[in-house]
Amino acid sequence: MPRHDSQQAVLRIVVVSALAVVVGSTASLAAIGFVEALHWLNDLLLVSPYARIQRADQPALVMLATVLVPTLGGLVVGLVVHRLVRERRGLAPPDAILAVQTRRPPPDFRSGLASTLAALLSLGAGASVGQYGPLVYLGSMFGALAGRLHLPVRNLRAIAIGCGVSAAIATAFNAPIAGLVFAHEVMLRHYSLRAFAPVTVAAAVGYVVANVFLHRPPLFQVSFAGVAHSYEFVLFAVEGVLCAGLAVAFVRLIQGSARLASRLSVPTWGRPALAGLGLGMVALWLPEVLGIGQETLRFATIEGAFGRTELALIVVAKLLVTALCLGFGFVGGVFSPALLIGILFGALYGLLLPELLPIPLSGQVVYAVCGMMALASSVIGAPLSTILIVFELTRSYDLTIAAMVAVVFANLVSYRVMGRSLFDLQLRQRHFDLSQGRDKAILGTHAVADYRVDDCILAWPDETVAGVQRRLGEGKRAEAMLVDDQRRYLGTLHLADLLTEPAAQPVAGLASPPALVFDERTSVWESMEQLPGFIGEAVPLLADDGRLLGVVPEEAVIRAYLEIIHDLRQEENEAA
Amino acid sequence: MTCDRKRTKRPSVWLAALGWLLAAPVAAESVTELVAESGAESPAPTPLTVLTWGGAYEASQRQAYFAAFTDATGIPIRTVHYDGGLADLRRHLASGDVTWDLVDMVYADALAACDAGLLEPLPAELLAPSPTGVAAREDFLPGAITRCGVAHLVFSTVLAFDERAFPGVKPSSVADFFDLERFPGKRALRRVPVGLMEWALLSYQVPRQQLYNLLSTERGFDLAFRRLDQIRPHLRWWTSGDQPARWLEDGEVAMASGFNGRFFHAQVTRGAPITVIWDGQLLDYNSWTILRGSDQVAEAHRFIRHATRTEAMAALANRISYGPTRYSAQWRVGRHRASGVAMAPHLPTAPSHLSGAIDRDHDWYARTAGLRARRFEAWLKRDGEAQGDAD
Repeated sequence: MPRHDSQQAVLRIVVVSALAVVVGSTASLAAIGFVEALHWLNDLLLVSPYARIQRADQPALVMLATVLVPTLGGLVVGLVVHRLVRERRGLAPPDAILAVQTRRPPPDFRSGLASTLAALLSLGAGASVGQYGPLVYLGSMFGALAGRLHLPVRNLRAIAIGCGVSAAIATAFNAPIAGLVFAHEVMLRHYSLRAFAPVTVAAAVGYVVANVFLHRPPLFQVSFAGVAHSYEFVLFAVEGVLCAGLAVAFVRLIQGSARLASRLSVPTWGRPALAGLGLGMVALWLPEVLGIGQETLRFATIEGAFGRTELALIVVAKLLVTALCLGFGFVGGVFSPALLIGILFGALYGLLLPELLPIPLSGQVVYAVCGMMALASSVIGAPLSTILIVFELTRSYDLTIAAMVAVVFANLVSYRVMGRSLFDLQLRQRHFDLSQGRDKAILGTHAVADYRVDDCILAWPDETVAGVQRRLGEGKRAEAMLVDDQRRYLGTLHLADLLTEPAAQPVAGLASPPALVFDERTSVWESMEQLPGFIGEAVPLLADDGRLLGVVPEEAVIRAYLEIIHDLRQEENEAA
Repeated sequence: MTCDRKRTKRPSVWLAALGWLLAAPVAAESVTELVAESGAESPAPTPLTVLTWGGAYEASQRQAYFAAFTDATGIPIRTVHYDGGLADLRRHLASGDVTWDLVDMVYADALAACDAGLLEPLPAELLAPSPTGVAAREDFLPGAITRCGVAHLVFSTVLAFDERAFPGVKPSSVADFFDLERFPGKRALRRVPVGLMEWALLSYQVPRQQLYNLLSTERGFDLAFRRLDQIRPHLRWWTSGDQPARWLEDGEVAMASGFNGRFFHAQVTRGAPITVIWDGQLLDYNSWTILRGSDQVAEAHRFIRHATRTEAMAALANRISYGPTRYSAQWRVGRHRASGVAMAPHLPTAPSHLSGAIDRDHDWYARTAGLRARRFEAWLKRDGEAQGDAD
């Protein structure tokens, strides 16, 4: 037996590692292709400053492109989403999280491709949305594809999705450690060795593809000499708290904009064009709001690049247009805009501090980076990953320590106010509530109906007390379910109540009103919540039209709970 | 298959070379005969007019290219001084009487002039193969051969300083050029919007790969000019390539931008106390082009073919520290003709100099010519007004 076990383990390790390499390299190449295509589109469509300045001699053309490209881009995005994505919305990290956590199949590959195309067009046309959300989803798609294979590994799909996501992040940020932590922190939400090993392999593969094969330049080089004064850590913490406030405002604005969009009489597919028009108008006057804004991100680390009012103006404008674009149906993420808003806010904070406090400080760069990471980590709910991203992007220990303090305080506050992240909020709207951990969320996705039993004793209103008593005795039960001719549930007959009634009396009217009933949608979690105080053998399970489908004995609810929890614990503690 | 192709290709190459060798002296002879017979009235071969950059560079070209060409073809070369840009070419073309034939242009200017229709497109099979028979397309650096131009050398615009001005700590980076506190003294820059914006932004620690993206925004230009404002009271503008080396030598300025070959020439031939800061060197190419409307296009083609031969390019690199754009010529670069100094460490393409080099974005340069000129002139006019006020 032990020999057989170890053979199995070796086979599994080989299979899972190979899977990690394949998924990792595919996701990584796809991520690079996506980013390249996006930059190509930005240059082609006069979104990037680099392309715009080369047409500086044709100002009318640039102005026209500024308004028309996002508008028409929005129209195309709207149509792509409406026609080709089955869900009729952009697919995003929450869809992948849901698939990983509930073990249900994710949206199909074709919808995923269409959604990725829509994201590419959104970003290519300069919409103020992020690129990392679509990249994460793209990575998860290849993971989900590999997860369909019939391999002797439990929870294969979740592991494979984790691999795809970690490789995508490792490639996109040139940050393999952050990629691997992100996959655990946001997707898997546990750290079992069985998942950890392949996800790490995939992150390393993503790094190798990006650096060794394709020599991608580092994303964000800043020079920073170090935090000069110890009291500045207090200022970083304060900045974190302020950023949490901004993160909450950002999330609320996105949700508000989505509500506003749903109240408009414009069809869903027409809404992105509307947002594009709004964006284009703002960009005529403030071109910094267009696209991902890599140039603006870099300028925020240069002292003197912006004035105070200018910074405040761009922060507000970028907040509003990002909420507009996301709420009105452009497809894209929230991370890049959050980075940009955060770094501009951080720069503003760093610019204002010397005027408020008469003490020497370490300069604007560190405050800008702290702001960037604090805001972004609160929005996506991944403090560890963002701290590691700072470390891997800047390779500066001093900056990382400073950012760490800001990130933690930002998350402490934002978690209290709005919950862990925008992703979790979106999942809660889809009735998957991770706010109290995986246990509750996953118990909430299992229907108690799956645990029903059919062999209950039925009774009809015209039956006599004696008849029902006899059948209860034969079945050794104390309860019978009273139903009408259409099997509609009328109440529960308790043996104890029947004993005092005349034998020939029909049982109609003797049933006690239902103390508790479940329906097909009642989850294991809800049934656990409702069960305390229930006295009886089993809870009737009813269809929407009131027909009795079966009963759920108390024992079945407890069994369901134990099975699911056991399964989760096993997943979280699996060795390689 | 590849063997076959080589076999068929080689004879044709040799035939072509042979044909050219035979034809050239014959042509030259026939011209001299004509001259002899018809006396004063005879049509002596019209000289080819080449626009080039004067000074030590032109002197090297005269030795490595022009003399050999005239020897081989009998066609004399007349040079006209040129300091870059398209304006001179436009003016000359507008005059209606085109007397210029060849122009030695920087790469981005050649692209822009080609787009603007100021240049003759070059035939595909113009260039000679290497001595070992490698086709020109494979022997030149990628991108060297364009529609209207052949890039023939790599030069760089570098910052350099007068060693006597800084007896203690020496400047070593672009940021030092803008640091008047640690390195006081006059600065000299070329009076064109080339290179100085890049250097100004580099002094903010912007990574080299992001320079042109940032310079594509208003903010980037503003930041760059703001940095230049800080040294403006100490700035002197040069216009001709030989000025910066001379000014450094004469102690008129402490630091200057200039073409690396000119600084090299001053160092080795005159022992000038000049040191080059290779950090932030702006790599560029010079291209041979033919002005549209030249009445000697065929002769100009002959010249380009002659001057871009491996031997000719290596001969130039042994006279001035500009790197050849053909691999076969790079391998033939040896010691400086006059001083015996090994040339390789003085070429902009030396590996140790490349780590801090700015890869000039030629497309960006070609398409922003007008904008750069406008912003630069506007800044020059705004004299002193913004100094000291950083907001």
